Amino acid sequence: MEQQKRMPRIIRENQILLIVMVLVFFLMSALNGQRFFALDNIASMAYQLPILGCLAMGMMVAMLSGGINLAIIATANFNGIVIALVLQQIMGPENMAAAPLSVSLLAIAIAFVFSMLVGVINGLFISLLKIPDILVTLGTMTIIAGLNVALTSGYTISGFPKEILALGNGHLFGIPSSLLIFIFGCAVCSLLLNRTQFGSSLYMMGSNPKAARFSNINIVKVSVQQYMLSSFFAVLTSLVMIGQLNSVKASYADSYLLVSILAGFLGNVNPFGGFGKVCGMVISVIILQFISSGLNLMSVDSFMITAMWGMIIVVVVVIKGSWPKIAQVLKEKKTQQG
Amino acid sequence: MNTKIFKSREFLLFAFIVLFSVLISFVNPKFLSYENFVDLLKSYTILGIFSLGVLLVLLSGGFDLSFTAIAQVVQYAVVYYFIAWAIDNVYVAIVASLLIGAMLGFVNGFIIYYYRITAIIVTIATNSIYIGFLYVVTNGDLLYDIPYSFSVLSDTKLFTVLNENGAEVGVCLATVLWLLMALGLHFFVSRTVLGRSIVALGGNALSAQRVGFNLRFTTLFIYTFVGSMAGFASLIQVSIFQSVVPNSMVGSELEVIAAVVLGGASVTGGRGTVLGTCLGVLLFAVLSNGMTLMKISPFFYEIFTGIVILISVTVNALQDIQRKRSQVRVQVEE
Repeated sequence: MEQQKRMPRIIRENQILLIVMVLVFFLMSALNGQRFFALDNIASMAYQLPILGCLAMGMMVAMLSGGINLAIIATANFNGIVIALVLQQIMGPENMAAAPLSVSLLAIAIAFVFSMLVGVINGLFISLLKIPDILVTLGTMTIIAGLNVALTSGYTISGFPKEILALGNGHLFGIPSSLLIFIFGCAVCSLLLNRTQFGSSLYMMGSNPKAARFSNINIVKVSVQQYMLSSFFAVLTSLVMIGQLNSVKASYADSYLLVSILAGFLGNVNPFGGFGKVCGMVISVIILQFISSGLNLMSVDSFMITAMWGMIIVVVVVIKGSWPKIAQVLKEKKTQQG
Repeated sequence: MNTKIFKSREFLLFAFIVLFSVLISFVNPKFLSYENFVDLLKSYTILGIFSLGVLLVLLSGGFDLSFTAIAQVVQYAVVYYFIAWAIDNVYVAIVASLLIGAMLGFVNGFIIYYYRITAIIVTIATNSIYIGFLYVVTNGDLLYDIPYSFSVLSDTKLFTVLNENGAEVGVCLATVLWLLMALGLHFFVSRTVLGRSIVALGGNALSAQRVGFNLRFTTLFIYTFVGSMAGFASLIQVSIFQSVVPNSMVGSELEVIAAVVLGGASVTGGRGTVLGTCLGVLLFAVLSNGMTLMKISPFFYEIFTGIVILISVTVNALQDIQRKRSQVRVQVEE
């Protein structure tokens, strides 16, 4: 019963997005024909989607309180670099790929702790000192990006053990494991946001910070948890990236920073905070992936795709802005005819 | 009065700059030479001019992440057509770059004002549009053979002295222009109706509207102004580096914003001074130049920059909290 009730709500809340998704899907299929439907393409889309997906989800968590996490990509790279360095420390610089499972797990755990620490620091600065999120994360981003460069001397570190690679590159029952990681992340995030006190406090903090303060919400605690969750998605991104690229570097995925904010905007996340759902984000990431894969198949220049993403935002903004006017004009016409 | 000066942001920055300068000159006495100071100013002139535009946006409570993209487009367009049409006149180039930059910036202002969308989203979108199309159109090709007259901006030296090798050392024209523009902007912000309306908009948009400021004109003006500043900065960049690389400035927008914030501007609008902004830029310049002279690995520059940003916003926040506490006390007494 409950399931039946909830399904329509998901559709109702994301009506426009779903329509856009279907339209984009048909448009891309029309432009590419058979190739877009091909299993190859769908598999490759499922393989590529998680990196942007995880980053966008982490960005959404930050945007729910009206903030932004500029440090998310730096954190993801940092996480990967810590994994690599721990492996190198234990196994010796040349012998990283031979690390046994226990060592790999240890490396991942240590990196996880460091990434969570970044989240804690972000949250503490933001909530205790009441500094705007954008400034705090600008500072931590610069520091972490600098650390990344300093730790690796700007070089690429490659050659990971196959257990770690399997996380981003393997398949489970024919489904890319990176996609499973993304789904796992979304499920955790959805549970935390919709079913816990933390989630409702976070939404409340975003929609009315003053009211939240007066209603006995521990802002420091919620902020810290929020940025830890954001960092958690950076960790997932990092695991996927290691698997897909078999290397870590200080400057990987740099160009995704702004795209992940755009994905949030497209996914109906209010940049002032308080509104935004996991499923909206998932749909928006899928739309972006359709577009980029479709254009890729047509061998459109990758910079053209960047430009297209920007254009889509502007078009969405203009349509959303003009929609009330158009609707009014249509109504008037109808009444005139009637 | 006296305590006010000592507590001000500008004084703090100035003290920091002096402190760092003394530290650096202990390690490397070359730092305190006129020649080094002039070089340091020259290399941060571009960032300085960008920061003037960004200051105005932040003052109004807006945000801009597209100005480097605007700069890249303007630079490429101006240099490309000036080479193609064999025009060798820097003054025409300045006018052209200001105009094209203004146009591209106007697009931002238009969307932000008429569709009431957060500036950060709009400018990220236009950023990717401008950069994407620039790459598509140009294939990322570099341009050399810059028109000769462009070098006037970076090669003309004022206030010259002779150094020990007998070469002339002086402040370059671009730097002087930057400082003059900063002075002009200071008077604009503090003495004109439009300037005050920008600050009012940043302080509280609703009250500004009720008082009767024309918010449409103000918003459009701000983003147009940032665009033209970006255009002008890009011309100085090409004059200094003598080549056009389509991605040379991409990614430096956050550094510019950091410098402005370091100078005491608040991202929520209504607060910030031109002097503070210039000192913020100067502090960055001293840091990077000093680290080079102290032979510290450039890898650490970024870490250091980040720490400086965090410290400065923390100091800002602590002052804010203190101010709010004292305000509350006054209310209670009344």
